[in-house]
Amino acid sequence: MLKIEVLFPEICNLFGNPFNVKYLKNSVKDVEVINTQLTDTPKFLSEKVDMIYMSPMTESSQELVIEKLKPYKENIKKLVQEGQLFLIIGNALEVFGKYIENEDGTKIDGLGITNLYAKRDMMHRFNSLFLGKIEDIKIVGFKSQFAMSYGDNSNNYVFDVIKGNGINKESKYEGIRINNFIGTYVLGPLLILNPYFTKYILKIMGVENVKLQYEKEAIECYEKRLKEFENADTKYD
Amino acid sequence: MLKFYIALYTAKIVRIMLKILGRKASFFPGRVAITICKDFLGKVDKPKQIIGVTGTNGKTTVCNLIIDALKQNNYKVLDNSFGSNIDAGIAASFIAGVNIINKTKYDITVLEIDERSSPKIFPYVKPTYLICTNLFRDSIRRNAHPEFILNILNKNLPEQTKLILNADDLISSSLGSTNEKIYFAIDKLDTDKEQCDNIINDVRICPKCHSLLKYNYVRYHHIGNAYCPNCGFKSPKPNYEVTKIDYKNNNITVSISTKGTKLISKYRLISNSIFNIYNMIAVISLLSELGIDIEKIQNFFEKEKIIESRYNKEEVDGIKIISHMAKGQNPIACSCVFDYIRNEKGKKEIILLLFDLFDSKESSENITWLYDCDFKFLNSDDIDKVIIGGPRAEDFYLRLLLANVPKEKLAFTEEIDNTINYLSLDKSKDIYILFELYDEEIAKNLRRKIEIKIKEKEGGVS
Repeated sequence: MLKIEVLFPEICNLFGNPFNVKYLKNSVKDVEVINTQLTDTPKFLSEKVDMIYMSPMTESSQELVIEKLKPYKENIKKLVQEGQLFLIIGNALEVFGKYIENEDGTKIDGLGITNLYAKRDMMHRFNSLFLGKIEDIKIVGFKSQFAMSYGDNSNNYVFDVIKGNGINKESKYEGIRINNFIGTYVLGPLLILNPYFTKYILKIMGVENVKLQYEKEAIECYEKRLKEFENADTKYD
Repeated sequence: MLKFYIALYTAKIVRIMLKILGRKASFFPGRVAITICKDFLGKVDKPKQIIGVTGTNGKTTVCNLIIDALKQNNYKVLDNSFGSNIDAGIAASFIAGVNIINKTKYDITVLEIDERSSPKIFPYVKPTYLICTNLFRDSIRRNAHPEFILNILNKNLPEQTKLILNADDLISSSLGSTNEKIYFAIDKLDTDKEQCDNIINDVRICPKCHSLLKYNYVRYHHIGNAYCPNCGFKSPKPNYEVTKIDYKNNNITVSISTKGTKLISKYRLISNSIFNIYNMIAVISLLSELGIDIEKIQNFFEKEKIIESRYNKEEVDGIKIISHMAKGQNPIACSCVFDYIRNEKGKKEIILLLFDLFDSKESSENITWLYDCDFKFLNSDDIDKVIIGGPRAEDFYLRLLLANVPKEKLAFTEEIDNTINYLSLDKSKDIYILFELYDEEIAKNLRRKIEIKIKEKEGGVS
């Protein structure tokens, strides 16, 4: 039985991301999804879970999540060191950074699990396609965000950038990875779009030789998208 | 002031030239004026009363209804329906409204205002009344999330503007902390639910104490009536409330509460859709606030029609073909159309043309919205077939499979014309074409080809 703890789905649910967990649940036998709300005590404090998952959220929700998780900062740090799998999508990764800076220079302290910090630019939304790589798996996806992250992630990133941007416009390294803490700005139905990456994630959870839900169709979509993304004429921004 | 007059005269000349060339006046003269004089919108003379209409859905319909009603009641109305709802479009309408010494010829103006453009508009144009129809998730790339749009509006809202807000929408009803507010709502309906059955509900927690909200009833997404069991926060009480929708007799009953008294009145229903009933009650609220007599408002709705440019129904040799616009990249708009279609009577076959025409030419469309959208509504006994056309057909196909729509009911093809081959052209099945805003021409062409094929089939049989 796999246990996936979804943190704060009542506010962390933007851009089709919750479907990733649904896809895992429908692809693997015996998955228990634990939905932890802001008013609950996180399950990962008291029992072993196979994955901790968080979707993107609004800017005010980021502050609520930071406040909620602050008392458990040390527990989270320890879990990261022990190799706990975290899949943290979109601006949820900023929650785990050093701080988030507003345009006026004011800062919101983050959990300090990663060494990155984020800068918001609320009047300029950044939209882009993303083509990257993890081991020999190519990744296709989308970015849509107000903030960018800064700091050195050259030794602990998630995806090599093939086309598009990393954690900021100058970066060639996408996301932040500490052991099995995986945080990436590539958002949306990332696991549905990338069936081979989904298998990579499942492997970390100890699940191998799995046939994903509608795997054949998902791979066909993935290959078509990959071809489009690799086409030199395709505009990324 | 010299710069202003140069801007005004240049814009007026541009406007005349566009007319001579037979082009639509559009927003272009306004863009010219603002380029020459940055605060043009502030300096140009405006009618005394300014009615602003903003929100995610329903802006255009609400504006058109208000304009028609005011004209019928002998107001001289200036509007921006010919231009656009951004700053340049509004400037263009003011340019059309003033004479050469910058004096407006109108009593009142009704302006559709793009939510995102409000920072460029509100510093100069301060509405007497602002209606916000609702705030929903829209395009991820442009609008991000409704809280972002709410914050933009809140930051720029003039203090003196009286707000007319939807009490059933806890996002938009929180607009304007210090502004005077009037609320409208639709009371509980038989079709309301206890729990939201949409993927998106953007108001799940109490805005005051962040506990989970309880809904007395949910209509769709976050529209409904809610309260917080922890701190007592609840949906605002409406001043204007639809208390009964009588589809049989084609009317709505409205309760108007002012200074402790309640006034009950009935209005002819101009459309069966719940969205248009929201539009109606927003319009009734505004007209009544402007001091127009109830009888006059009732008279207006007696004759008024809603122009359904987004909807077309026809019958060819006994087969109904219904075209319906559904804003692509907008999960709420598409979910609402899916919900509407599944509730329509009779067997149906649906063609989906919801791809983004522009992205498919130069880029690859961001399809994250598909996973915010309620495709499960298309998994219905009465829906016999869903045929997907266009460059993203495989993505829609996979999404529909993941919504548990049976494989045998699905077909997909990149070639739009090829979708026709999957239709049964059976008289017992209505054909629905759902198309993206910018795919309208493609949808029209397809409809014509379907008509020809039906006629050919009929000819062949006889």
